[in-house]
Amino acid sequence: MSFTSMALFQQQFGDALARSAEVGTRVVDPALARALAVHRNTSAKAAQDALAANYPVVRALFGDEAFFACAAAYVRRHPPREPRLNAFGQNFDVFLRDYEPACDLAYLPDVAKLERLCTEALFAADAEPLGAEEMARHIAEQSSPNLHPATRMTQFDAPAVSIWRAHQTDAVSAFDAIVWSAEGALVTRPDGEVRVAIADAGMLAFLQACAAGADLNAAALAANAAGADFSTLLPNLIEAGALA
Amino acid sequence: MIVTAGLGFKAQHFDEAMACRADGLWFEVHAENYMVDGGPRLAALHALRGRHPISLHGVGLSIASAQQPDAVHLKRLAGLVDRVRPLAVSDHLAWQRWAGVHHSDFLPFPRTLEALSGVADNIARVQDAIGVRLLVENPSLYIDLPGHELSEPAFLEALAERTGCGLLVDVNNVFVSAANLGLNAQAYIDAIPAEFVGEIHLAGHSKDPDPESPLIVDSHDQPVAEGVWELYRRLISRIGPRPTLIERDDNIPSFNELMSERSQAHSILAVADQIKVNHVVH
Repeated sequence: MSFTSMALFQQQFGDALARSAEVGTRVVDPALARALAVHRNTSAKAAQDALAANYPVVRALFGDEAFFACAAAYVRRHPPREPRLNAFGQNFDVFLRDYEPACDLAYLPDVAKLERLCTEALFAADAEPLGAEEMARHIAEQSSPNLHPATRMTQFDAPAVSIWRAHQTDAVSAFDAIVWSAEGALVTRPDGEVRVAIADAGMLAFLQACAAGADLNAAALAANAAGADFSTLLPNLIEAGALA
Repeated sequence: MIVTAGLGFKAQHFDEAMACRADGLWFEVHAENYMVDGGPRLAALHALRGRHPISLHGVGLSIASAQQPDAVHLKRLAGLVDRVRPLAVSDHLAWQRWAGVHHSDFLPFPRTLEALSGVADNIARVQDAIGVRLLVENPSLYIDLPGHELSEPAFLEALAERTGCGLLVDVNNVFVSAANLGLNAQAYIDAIPAEFVGEIHLAGHSKDPDPESPLIVDSHDQPVAEGVWELYRRLISRIGPRPTLIERDDNIPSFNELMSERSQAHSILAVADQIKVNHVVH
């Protein structure tokens, strides 16, 4: 059965919806214009609200008005491609780097990237985190531990972790007390809760080597070359639930 | 267990939802929110499933489309149905996906015979993939499109007859569509084929923020309006009790406030049930 006229209708309605969002466009039929506006607003609001839910610290740093103006611009440029809006906002950090009104807030893209890693961690697969005993077995056997599916790590130019922490409800450090320096981040999800910690260069090197499938010896060498503190590295990773 | 009135589940109400022992209570979640690999939200859904019946309400199948439902999305839905064993699975008589973009709203289409055939094929594909009956919901309409060959109740009835799908009657959407398109809401309610109705939705609406616009919008950010309750009582007194959901997605009040709205629906269902029992007895 041909479905041609339906396809044609969807094409025309979809085009009208997109065109009606452009500044200066006037839809001739006022009833159609109002209907398109309702659909456009509902659809855009859902995507913008999803972005706000996934980037609460960026929203707080920006302020509501500036954030939602930015969200509207982001949604126009990168509309949702699928119905799972709980993961909406991929590459928002990249968008922010070129977003003119945010160019004074150089740390914003890094904080956005950190929040994206938190979203990824939140929805990652479940796995039992590696305990001290299994770690001892890996050391004895020189085998390679896996990263927990929720583990994410990266190096930032800005103190993104400290800024993020200052915006949590249980924040201990005031925003003013943040020391301006590059920070690495470790995002994990022990006991079903996303946790963010500062990761030093040694920890990042160790985790990146593990992620690349290196055995424990090679990962330790990489960590050592990056100046890892071995008295705290493995206990910290185990405590954070970073390995599996 | 008999289910009566339920609530849309909100993560912030998890503890209260787990503790609540109200007679006939159930919860509905948006299926797409749980199409994830793992983590605490999926764990919370499984915990809730241990206490209350759950229904999966989809907002992304895009069944009223010239395109077939997305295969990856169908697979995810099938996986979730398998894990949750829901009370019901539903989605809307509308389209969202076109030219690679997902519109997070329920877009209209001309209800032609050609569309009937295509939508029926899409529903059959969904039901084949998930292995259970789909409940199809009437959307809120904002424009009287040219080219309809069937009324919405007639279109829905024909879909049910062809595919074995059930109907999810959103009474607020009937109210909103009737107000916006100048239809008779009572006549719409009276035209709904009772035998196919598997679930009912009740929600709040609000005025279009554009001061020039006469439209009302299906905003889910208000309590259920009195006019919607009236239509609901009319429907239930004719077709008998059906699982009924209080939908609230924005401007979310306390759990207790939602429960008091839910109690209103529960009472209406209990009265209808009593009447039905009396009919049987006498």
